Amino acid sequence: MMEIKHDQDQLVKLQFIKPAFMKLALIAFFTPLMISACGDSSSSNQIHNKIDYTKNYPPNNGGTLIDAMTGEPSGLIAMIAGESAASAIAGNIFNSLLRYDKNLELTGELVESWDVSNDQKTITFHLKPNLKWADDQPLTSDDVLFTWQKVTDEKTRTPYGSDFKLVTKAETPDANTFRVTYAAPYAPALDTWAGLHILPKHLLKDQDINTTAFARNPVGSHYYKLEKWKNGQFLKLTRNENATQGQAKIGNLLSRIIPDKAAQFLELSADNIDSMGLNPIQYARIFPARPDLNKNIALYKELGNSYTYLGFNLKRKPFDDIRVRQAINYAINKQEIIDGVLLGLGEPVASPYKPGTRWSNPELKPYPYDPNKAKALLKAAGYEDHDGDGILDKDGKPFTFEILTNQNKEREMTGVLIQRRLNEIGIKANIRVLEWASFLGRFIKPKEFDVVLLGWSLSLDPDQYSIWHSSQQAPGQFNFISYSNQRVDKLLEAGRLELNPDKRMKIYHEFSKILLEDSPIVFLSAGYGLTAIHKRVRGISNPAPPAGIGHNTYEWYIPSAYARNEMSEH
Amino acid sequence: MLKYLVKRIVWMVPLLIGISLISFFIMHLAPGDITTSEASFNPKASEESRQKLRELYSLDKPVIVQYSLWMKRMVTLDFGTSFASHQRPVFWQTKDKDGNVTLGMIQEALPITLLINVLSLILIISVALPLGVISALNQNQLTDRSITLFVFIGFAIPGFWLALMLMYWTGVQHNWLPISGLQSIGHENMNWLAQIADTLKHLALPVFISGITGLAGISLFVRNGMLEVLHQDYITTARSKGLSEKRVIYGHALRNALLPLITIFGLSIPGLIGGSVIAESIFAIPGMGKLFYDAVLMRDFPVIMGILTIGAVLTLIGNLLADVAYAWADPRVRRGVVQ
Repeated sequence: MMEIKHDQDQLVKLQFIKPAFMKLALIAFFTPLMISACGDSSSSNQIHNKIDYTKNYPPNNGGTLIDAMTGEPSGLIAMIAGESAASAIAGNIFNSLLRYDKNLELTGELVESWDVSNDQKTITFHLKPNLKWADDQPLTSDDVLFTWQKVTDEKTRTPYGSDFKLVTKAETPDANTFRVTYAAPYAPALDTWAGLHILPKHLLKDQDINTTAFARNPVGSHYYKLEKWKNGQFLKLTRNENATQGQAKIGNLLSRIIPDKAAQFLELSADNIDSMGLNPIQYARIFPARPDLNKNIALYKELGNSYTYLGFNLKRKPFDDIRVRQAINYAINKQEIIDGVLLGLGEPVASPYKPGTRWSNPELKPYPYDPNKAKALLKAAGYEDHDGDGILDKDGKPFTFEILTNQNKEREMTGVLIQRRLNEIGIKANIRVLEWASFLGRFIKPKEFDVVLLGWSLSLDPDQYSIWHSSQQAPGQFNFISYSNQRVDKLLEAGRLELNPDKRMKIYHEFSKILLEDSPIVFLSAGYGLTAIHKRVRGISNPAPPAGIGHNTYEWYIPSAYARNEMSEH
Repeated sequence: MLKYLVKRIVWMVPLLIGISLISFFIMHLAPGDITTSEASFNPKASEESRQKLRELYSLDKPVIVQYSLWMKRMVTLDFGTSFASHQRPVFWQTKDKDGNVTLGMIQEALPITLLINVLSLILIISVALPLGVISALNQNQLTDRSITLFVFIGFAIPGFWLALMLMYWTGVQHNWLPISGLQSIGHENMNWLAQIADTLKHLALPVFISGITGLAGISLFVRNGMLEVLHQDYITTARSKGLSEKRVIYGHALRNALLPLITIFGLSIPGLIGGSVIAESIFAIPGMGKLFYDAVLMRDFPVIMGILTIGAVLTLIGNLLADVAYAWADPRVRRGVVQ
């Protein structure tokens, strides 16, 4: 007890210290730091700044590319690990049967070609000849069959098995042929085969795939193989001499795990890493103000893989009324959200497909910002301000609802901008921000919400059956806004049965058109993926094609004049 | 004394069961489980597959059943394997039939956090002790007030901000210290002396940051303890019998003023294994704080329970050690315990 009393004395005494002294001490303490923080930054990296990174060199092999990730993979068997960090690393180690090219069209990776039978139920994959694993064992259709068996195995702890369980028969007529048969034509099948990493049977056949040490010590067939994995610190990949797709130019890929973006940025400024993902503030505010950084580091932007939307609970009044949904769509200024939240680094979207790809209908334009039209639509729906309190009402009830979103700064800011625009036309919206698990468990699953502010991915395969088909409304399924439109249902079913890309495209263009018109969700924006890469790395496509700058990493190179001294790497 | 010790140790068992029971239920009160993370909200992952995962992890069973399953494993000291990284054991390494050793998650994170915390504790004591004594001897003079002000600034300053500023100053502007991470990339190729130097260089900033923020507590504790003791009658007696000021202060006053510190150190033992999430994230150090934080976010129940259990055991041991040490150091307490 005595100590506590003394502490209190201390605090009381502190208040009697002369303010001037306090100020002086503070200044004395902070000044060196401030100078160091805001001072002449050209003094930094004197060694690195002396190198002129603008000279041209022809492509060569070798060098190390160091990048930073915020999270660590839990394992490198992607079907089990699931998180993006795992897919990013595993994508350099394992091949799939198919891949997406730079225009996001499907093309063969392990296969030379594939045939679809006349009834569209059977797909035959022809593997390239003489494929090899990194340990010199041959890669055959047996490995593909084994991978399919594993992903559909009840005991395998993967959430991604359901697409592959639609295969009724999988067979290997010979070592280079793999054939799958579906009960009914299943168009997204090709996309699913582009996402499944083929695993080596000879190493995994006696292992429990859920717990095998292989996940941390994999053997693959792609450009790189894992050389070293230091938990919590870094993963080092080195070139795979047996790579099935030819040789990559950069010798080593080193991914450092740095959870904090600010620390990553400091590492980038100090030239300890070559590449990192930026946020809009770093891209649009910090870099333009730092010429010393721009001298050595190039910035790239590409359309990201997701969009933000405002989704209505269509089971609740008044969102079952298309006029109300369209009115809210007209009332929201999408460009303002892009400028304010993404600092201009995004695009409006009008369909759930990436602009510039074949699935995106070029005729569709987002609803323009038109508050008068919004008011007129609401009036037609019966909403007017009868009692003069500034809020529209119908049958004596004011038009007010709650926008639910999860803890995500960008979504919260978007919500505030929407709130203000809705307020202008007389709708009172409240924002409620929730932690993800309770958001999902208490509001989405039981459908206890008015309006949600969320994101969906801009999927590469156009099939969006699980999000929009009226049969997908049970708790835990993804059509939680309860969208139900017979024409859309028909189109989604037809799209799944059609494997011809051109015919499929027509189906999904029509689907997007109805979706936009119906306005069950308001498409808000799709943000850019922003990347900073040191200028020593060459061969990067700029501007980025639809697949993003990463589509040709195997062609990137580091001129040996610019390669860093391997021992000095921090 | 022995009887007292045995009694205390036996009592720890029901206490531990109680702690684990409460932790387990509170953990399950939070909504969601491993299958409801944001990343798994993916149309490609069907509800049926997620249900299947829940069954595989026994998450579909009532909480009390899950607890008894956990307890059944715990009595054989099996902490289980992590949900989020399927193959890694929570606590200690395992060997599979092919001889591949998988290191435990706590096994890897704990030494790192311990090292940082022990180093910063040493830093804190070696700075805070003299500061506290100097403060007490110059009570209410300029020296005392400057020291107090300094430690309070250290206490009040946001650690993450100071960390970023120092990282920029020592890492970007001057190439003095590495910015983040635990080791350089070429660490394995160095000789052992260079390896130690490399690790110490990486740890310098994290230890300094946690040291400067922890300075205030101990130094004020020492200062106030000293002041209290200096006003005791036996100090007056010591002075009046003509002992030198040095002997009075270091021989009599300081020794007594340090007694309460034993309690503080005892209580800080469990703190030694708890890392700071913010510091570990900023400095990219794979320690206990980050491990626990990620486990909570992912609802990785075996990891959460593993860390909580080890924390509980260490807290109880710390308390016991503090009491025993107190009895050893202070005859008055010893007599009380025996009676």
